This record gives sequence, C-alpha cells and structure tokens, in this order.
Amino acid sequence: MTVGVVANPASGRDIRRLVAQASVFPTAEKANMVQRLLTAFASVGVTRALLSTDLGGISAAVLRALRGRRPGRDGGWPDVVFCDDDAITGTARDTTNAVRRMVADGARLIVCLGGDGTARVAAAACGDVPLLALSTGTNNAFPRMREATVAGLAGGLVATGAVAAETGTRRATVLHAGVADRGETALVDVCASRSRHIGSRALWHPETITELFCTFAEPDGIGLSSVAGQLCPSPRDEPEGVALTLAPPEHARWVVHAPIAPGLVVPVGVDAWRPLPVGEPVEIGLRGGVIAVDGERELELTGTETATVRLCAEGPRCVDVSAVLAEASANGLLRTENQVAQRKERQR
Amino acid sequence: MTDTLSTAVSHELDGNALLDAYRTMRTIRAFEERLHDEFATGEIPGFVHLYAGEEASATGVCLHLDDRDAIASTHRGHGHCIAKGVDVKAMMAEIYGRRTGSCHGKGGSMHIADLSKGMLGANGIVGGGPPLICGTALAAKQKGTGGVGVAFFGDGASNQGTTLEAMNLASVWQLPAIFVAENNGYAEATSSTWSVAADNIADRAAGFGMPGVIVDGFDFFAVHEAAAEAIQRAREGGGPTLIEVKFTRYFGHFEGDQQTYRAGEVAYARENLDCLKRFRARVTETGQVEAARLDAVDAQVADLIDAAVEEAKAAPKPTAADLETDVYIEY
Repeated sequence: MTVGVVANPASGRDIRRLVAQASVFPTAEKANMVQRLLTAFASVGVTRALLSTDLGGISAAVLRALRGRRPGRDGGWPDVVFCDDDAITGTARDTTNAVRRMVADGARLIVCLGGDGTARVAAAACGDVPLLALSTGTNNAFPRMREATVAGLAGGLVATGAVAAETGTRRATVLHAGVADRGETALVDVCASRSRHIGSRALWHPETITELFCTFAEPDGIGLSSVAGQLCPSPRDEPEGVALTLAPPEHARWVVHAPIAPGLVVPVGVDAWRPLPVGEPVEIGLRGGVIAVDGERELELTGTETATVRLCAEGPRCVDVSAVLAEASANGLLRTENQVAQRKERQR
Repeated sequence: MTDTLSTAVSHELDGNALLDAYRTMRTIRAFEERLHDEFATGEIPGFVHLYAGEEASATGVCLHLDDRDAIASTHRGHGHCIAKGVDVKAMMAEIYGRRTGSCHGKGGSMHIADLSKGMLGANGIVGGGPPLICGTALAAKQKGTGGVGVAFFGDGASNQGTTLEAMNLASVWQLPAIFVAENNGYAEATSSTWSVAADNIADRAAGFGMPGVIVDGFDFFAVHEAAAEAIQRAREGGGPTLIEVKFTRYFGHFEGDQQTYRAGEVAYARENLDCLKRFRARVTETGQVEAARLDAVDAQVADLIDAAVEEAKAAPKPTAADLETDVYIEY
C-alpha cells in the first residue's frame, strides 16, 4: 500500500516575509514533518512511501534520518523510496513531475507540503487520487495548518481504505483562468490586478485589484478570499463560488478590513458581489495587467488580450482530516480492546 | 466594461525610467561580453570576473539609490559599479591598468572604486563588503541623512564570518543596511547546494531577526520590487533586510575557467531566462516602451563600449613615480 509525499523546498520564502511579517518555515521543520508523516503512515498500515527529492535539503535530511534510525528503538516506517528519476529544475515543474510519478507508481494518497501555490500545482497533477495539503507556506487559505502526525493518520486511513473515500474526502472546486494559450488553475481565488508585471509574484497592494473570484470564502480565512469571507461568505463544501468587483476604498460601496496576508490587515473597497455558479465563463475587463491565482501573479496580459475565468466542480479530492478521524473514533479504528485487562477488572 | 491601467502601483516605473533600467542592464552586458573577448587577447592584466547574466540584480537594486547611499561590491563588481553610476570609460581604463582609470590604473578589475558615487569598491576579499556597509549605514543613521548601505555578496561570501557578523551587527543596531546575496550557484567551482548549510541563504535572516526573501534574479521587476520594499523600510528606520537573488552567471568564475563543474544551465538560461530578453518582451507587450527605443539604446551602448575600449588602449600606463601617490589619504 503506497502513498506519496511531495515537499516544496521553496515555499514560505517570498516577499511577504519583508512586507508582512509572514512566517518562516525552515527546511529542517519540513523534513521533520515528513518524518512525522512516515510514523503516522506506518501505524495505520501504509507499507511504502514515495518521497519527492529536492536541492533544498528536505529529502537529504530525511535520508540522513532514515540512515540513522535505531532498530528496536525507533518506531517503524514504511519502505521509503525517493523519486529521483526526473532532473530537478528548481521550479513548480518539480512538484508536477513528482506527483505524476507517484500517481503512476500506485500512490493512493498524495500529501503536499507547501503553501497555496504548491497545493495548486499538486492538485493539477494528482487526478482522482486523494490530496492532503499541509501548510508550510505563506497565505494558506487552502492547505490546513495541521499537525503532520494527525494529518498523516487521517491520510493513511483513507489510503488503506480503512475509511472510505466517500466519507473521508471532499471534492474541491477550482477556478480556471485562461488567456490565449496560457492557463492556470486556482484552488482559492483568481484576481485581476493593474500591476503590470509578475515581478515578485505575491500581491499585497489591494488597490491594484479590479476583480476577484473565489471558490470559497470563509469568515476566518486569510488571503484575498478573506475579503469575500467578511462580506459574502461562501462555504468550502458548496460548489458555488463568489465574484466581486473591487474599487478604491474612498469610492467603494463597502470597505472590508481584510487580512490579505499574514500581518497585513488593509481596507479593501468592494463595489459589487454576486454568487458565481459552476460553469459560467466570465470575461475579465482588465487589459494589460496581470492575473493572479491564489494570491500570486502568474499570467501577464498584453494590452489586447482578454482573460476568462470559470468555476469548475471537478477539483481535487481532498482528505477531510476531521471527518476521517471522527469516523475512526466512531468505528474504533485507532483503538483495541485489551481482553485480559477487562477480564481482570471484572474479576475484581 | 474594460478597465485600463490608469492607476499604477507606486513603485512601478514609467517609460523613461524603464528605458534607463534597460540602458543600465544593456551597458553591463555589453561591457562584460566585450571584456570576455578582449581578455582573450592577453592585453588585460590580472584577473577579471564577469557579471553577465546577473544584470537585473545590480540594476533592480541600484535604481532605488541616490547620492546619500553607498554600496559595497565583490570581485565580480563591474555590474555594481555601472549600476551605481561609475564612469564606464574610467572603469574600462582601470581594467586595462591605465592612468585614466577610476583608481589611476592601480586597482584593476577587482578594486574599482569611486567614492564620489558611493561605490566603496569591488573587493578581492570574499565577504569583505558587508562590514563596510555597516559603517556607512551607521554613519547615515547617526547623521540622519536617510541614506542606506547595500552590500552585494555571493553565495561563497554568505558562509564567511565577516558577512554573518555584519548581519548580526546591522540587526543589533537596526542599521539601514540591505544585504543582497547574489547566489549564482557556485562559489568558484563549489556548488552552493553543497556549501550553504541552510540551503537557502535567505533562511539565515531569521537567525539575525531580519526579514529574508528569495527573488528570481533573472527578473528585473522581481528584484526591483523587493529592493523597493527593503530600501524604503531601511530609510524609514525599519532596519536591515536580506534579499537572496538566484540566477546563473553566464561566464566562468574567472576568465579562463574551464567550467568542468557545470553543463547545460548557461545555454538554458541564456535562451529561456535572460533578464534582458524578458524585460524587452514585457515592456513592448504592454506598450510601455517601443522596440525602436530599445534598439536605439543598444546602438548607443555599443558605441560607448567601443569608445571605452579604444580610449583605454590608447591611455598611458602609470609610471614608477605614481607608486608613491594615492597611498595615504589626509583627513
């Protein structure tokens, strides 16, 4: 029984650490998370784990730990196989390659460690294999901030079939943004920005944003979707999304004080909003700016190109950690009964 | 409704400023490529270390600087000099060892300096620049000039005690200092993925209590944005920042380096990542600058470099009597 773990060495290091006191997620902690996942996997019967490789030190640290494990003292791990068949490019392509290899090699679960950007890339490559996205990035509206051990238990229970996928996973919606022959898929939000360049990717000037589309919007969210979360919440479990038209706060109908990044609560002007049904193509009015997906500028527009956005119901199948462990509790999947002790108790 | 780009982001550049940025990057590229050719003729004394491929870093940072500010450079310093406004002809003459050079022909490639421009010097000592910047940043802070100090250094220097001590001091004193780690992948022939224990130089910033960010060094706009935030923060009293700029140098560690330690990455970078190509494509796509204006800059820069080489070759060399000048300075 095989699972895959892909860890992005580059997540959590962009300019938001400079402009917004975003958290720093060191390589050593990412490697520790992988090890905690392995411990959890082994405890629920996962026998083989495929791990991504990188030049950022995560896979090297796990390899060192693997070689240093003490028989009889350290708990068991699944057989660990490093996916090192593809040349490392230092780009998002590494995540795509690793996830595809894992899926092809029979992985029944893909765990990705990173931010919204990493989860987006992994989701595009994992097909129908359940995805468990853990936060080691910046905004993290999509990946949950979860203890890896607990998340690993839940993921492992889904991978082994102890908890049925119908019970333990939720189908996410995604937003497809396209212009000419280029396209990106967002897990949380797509926005149009008057910023002319991809530049340092992150968006932290909300006054440049003209339109915002969200797959879901939670009142306690972080990132651009928090704007909608405080104005027109849209639950994660419902397929419908929301579309907002933004405006300068001094002219806007609503001004939302939104945590658009860790450490950055700013007024964002909203002129209008509406539910966004699945399947409706929306043409973006902006010319010559950029399209950002999940808070990162990705597509540069020329002055004549028109971008479109469409909400799609066929997103990744995501592990619902709470639901899986509730099911485990209800069915006693993580407990056993000690007959001898019970008998002694009865005799007393 | 079609929305136009009437509102620009505050740190975005207008057409003329974009043209200036392009001129600086093109001048660095042409300067270095010409030196690559000229060094092979044997006329240039000493070593040269070329900055080609890394132009977006020096340019993206130095565009934010003015006369209040100082920079410290590395042995690969030509790009920093040009971006900070050092005279290109004087630089070329210095590299040729001529009396008309920036340092009267006594410094050469690795010691070009022009204090009048706030260029404290290329530096043959790996990790020599960051401590100097603590000094200039302290002076700016004490005098209240609003000036900043910028230390450019490489991945090799990031492992030197001088660099780490300087970052510590800058943070303790909350100095207006910016540390720009130019990670081109190799310290001479040693891969940074092997020699930098934290793997990302930017990760070390947390240990010194300052922000550390990574930017794409092939993208002028990425560097320019990050530098804008860091420099503004420093000027306003927010303290130091570490910016790690990742890219590939197009030539060897030094001219003559056989580069047996790497293969393929330079050709890929030149074709797909090059900062000048990307800059040209984007500013013409958005209609911010016409291609003809960029072509005109290319021609002007080519003429400048031709003239610089010609004049340098014709200039006199220092004499024995020059040995005793420029040794001490009077305060």
